[in-house]
Amino acid sequence: MRVPYVNLVAQHAPIKSAIMAAVESVIDHGQFILGSEVADFERRFAELCQVPYAVGVNSGTDALLIALKALEIGPGDEVITVPSSFVSSTSVIMLVGAQPVFIDVGPDYNMDPDQIEAVITPRTKAILPIHLTGRPANMGPILETARKHDLHVIEDAAQAVGAEYNDHRVGSLGTIGCFSLHPLKTLNACGDAGMLTTHDARLYESFKTLRNIGLGTRDDCVVWSGNSRLDTMQAAILLVKLGYLEEWTERRRQNAVRYRELLSDLPQVKTPQELPHERAVYHTFVIEAEQRDSLKAHIAENGIGSAVHYPIPIHLQSVASCLGYGEGRFPVSEKQASRILSLPVYPELEPQQLEYVADCIRGFYRADNQ
Amino acid sequence: MQVKYSYLEEQFADVEPYLNDIRNLVASGDFTLGAPVPEFEARFADLCGLPHAIGVGSGTDALILSLKMLGVGHGDEVITTPNTFIATVGAIAMTGARPVFVDNDERYTIDVSQIEAAITPKTKAILPVHLTGTPADMPSIMEIARRHDLAVVEDAAQAILAQIDGQHVGSWGDTACFSLHPLKNLNVWGDGGVIVTRSAELAEKLKLFRNHGLSSRDDVAMFGHNSRLDSLQAVVANRLVDQAAWITEQRIANALRLDQGLSDLGEYVIIPRRSPNIREVFHTYVIKASNRDALVEHLIAQGIEAKVHYPIPLHLQPAADYLGYKAGDFPVCEEHCRMIFTLPVHQHLGSEQINYMIEKVREFYLGNNRRI
Repeated sequence: MRVPYVNLVAQHAPIKSAIMAAVESVIDHGQFILGSEVADFERRFAELCQVPYAVGVNSGTDALLIALKALEIGPGDEVITVPSSFVSSTSVIMLVGAQPVFIDVGPDYNMDPDQIEAVITPRTKAILPIHLTGRPANMGPILETARKHDLHVIEDAAQAVGAEYNDHRVGSLGTIGCFSLHPLKTLNACGDAGMLTTHDARLYESFKTLRNIGLGTRDDCVVWSGNSRLDTMQAAILLVKLGYLEEWTERRRQNAVRYRELLSDLPQVKTPQELPHERAVYHTFVIEAEQRDSLKAHIAENGIGSAVHYPIPIHLQSVASCLGYGEGRFPVSEKQASRILSLPVYPELEPQQLEYVADCIRGFYRADNQ
Repeated sequence: MQVKYSYLEEQFADVEPYLNDIRNLVASGDFTLGAPVPEFEARFADLCGLPHAIGVGSGTDALILSLKMLGVGHGDEVITTPNTFIATVGAIAMTGARPVFVDNDERYTIDVSQIEAAITPKTKAILPVHLTGTPADMPSIMEIARRHDLAVVEDAAQAILAQIDGQHVGSWGDTACFSLHPLKNLNVWGDGGVIVTRSAELAEKLKLFRNHGLSSRDDVAMFGHNSRLDSLQAVVANRLVDQAAWITEQRIANALRLDQGLSDLGEYVIIPRRSPNIREVFHTYVIKASNRDALVEHLIAQGIEAKVHYPIPLHLQPAADYLGYKAGDFPVCEEHCRMIFTLPVHQHLGSEQINYMIEKVREFYLGNNRRI
């Protein structure tokens, strides 16, 4: 049996005609730049995230960049984040000229709130937690610390559309939520796309200006800025997919439940937990496994795709040497990086495929024990 | 009669081949830097006669990425003109550098005689704009840049296939930046841009920088942006890139007919001097007119989508307040903003439409007596 790690072909096959109808309807009106589908999608996405305002941009990375710019974070400022993430959550801080300050993660792969206060300085402007894997970071204590020290909270929810913390959707908890709708995300465009969410009407206006070359009106440029608009075509496609999101997310969650059932008695494998006040959406289903690399090779030999998100913590990337963090500085992140493995968890995964993945993993450790 | 500014309706006349390509792309799932992107990059590089093209998210991103990879950042200055689209200056500001303006000449491009006076120890780059599709005086600009060791980024957003002495724009500066915005001469169906360069090293850096700095799936060579030309847009561009030569010829022919039809209105209408060694590609057909606002109103009332590119000089935009410029600082640009207007010139215009535009402009100034 073959189980690819991702399967965009299977995702798109049943909805292809709806997507093509959406594409054609955009061609019919020809408003490729900020056409009505963008505003429609923004409205629906705001509802989904339980916020009054959402703004579409060109990518999740651009959403973070615009968030930092809207909060006027730049040279001389510090932003607290974690090294266990996709690189762009740190890149954006560097790109605006600010300083990323790392703290370690906990067993949930997300920011350890207990470590925040120790790194706050007078230059700290914001905390940037990441809802990695689609599981919400421990936002209660993060928000409390932020309030106490008057800091902004930018949620990097790139992997977590629809995730919840105490019944609140991610993106509605901090000052700003930043989402990626990249083709491999749980809600995915057929190209790059991103979203910003907020409760703050002034930030909302600022997002709209910053994503559209600083235009206040057609001819008035109120601030110099770049161009980062969600394509109308992608918005139209996303509107189609949004109709399936709940169903897709529930299937991911069911896949996670099933993996836990099938793997939880293996002492060599730790499956991700979900606490009662959390709703994780499983952009990735990340286990911690002994002999990770051998396991990965073993299941690959059996036709199963898997991935490591991410094998090198950001502070150990050569490009990050300028930040001055050495090996051993963030032991939890580093240990996880050597043990984690992402298993196929997409909605189109067949039950037999999932059982086959679990069987192969069990087989690996059985063989190992003999 | 209606004379529209946009040509998209005509482009959609036979939309099935495009839809078929998009259908295949959706079925393949090859959305991020998929096969259509390198295909387009190779074809675009060929079109410009240059070895390297890099597809990015927009023309603005093309400028931002170019400037940053040439080392422009906080504390630096970049010289450009105040008569351009705001994104030119937006891009400079996004790098953290300060835009420094130099007035433009009667061809709507930077006045090269004023550049050296604007150079300071902080100047890192010159950013000439080939506005309307008219190439700036690149030989002179390159000489100044060499003398002062400055980078040159050509803003060629409006100037695909423009040439000086048979040499394409994009072959002079360190990079040239093109926009594929839906209303450009070569367009896609959303935002898109391309950078071209002669330098293999710079091309390599730009490819990293547009894609999170990833040298492999897991290795980060630099802290980068995410600014990739969508595969979906590359599919559209691959259908249109073959038409770029024809589109350009058609626009040039249309512009020359407008020139001929309006050239004797010297008292009312001033057409920029055309030079035989300079190939202007007429993204926009911009001329100066007396009583401009009334003329534009008249043309619009007659069904002609006349426009003004652009009514407010950038040094007088609210965003420029902190730069400390004032009205009168750039007299040529300011006069142009009061006098210029734009007539449709796109590739799908018919002769009746061109004659109609000529007739309506003449009618405005001469009444029924259409000869001077």
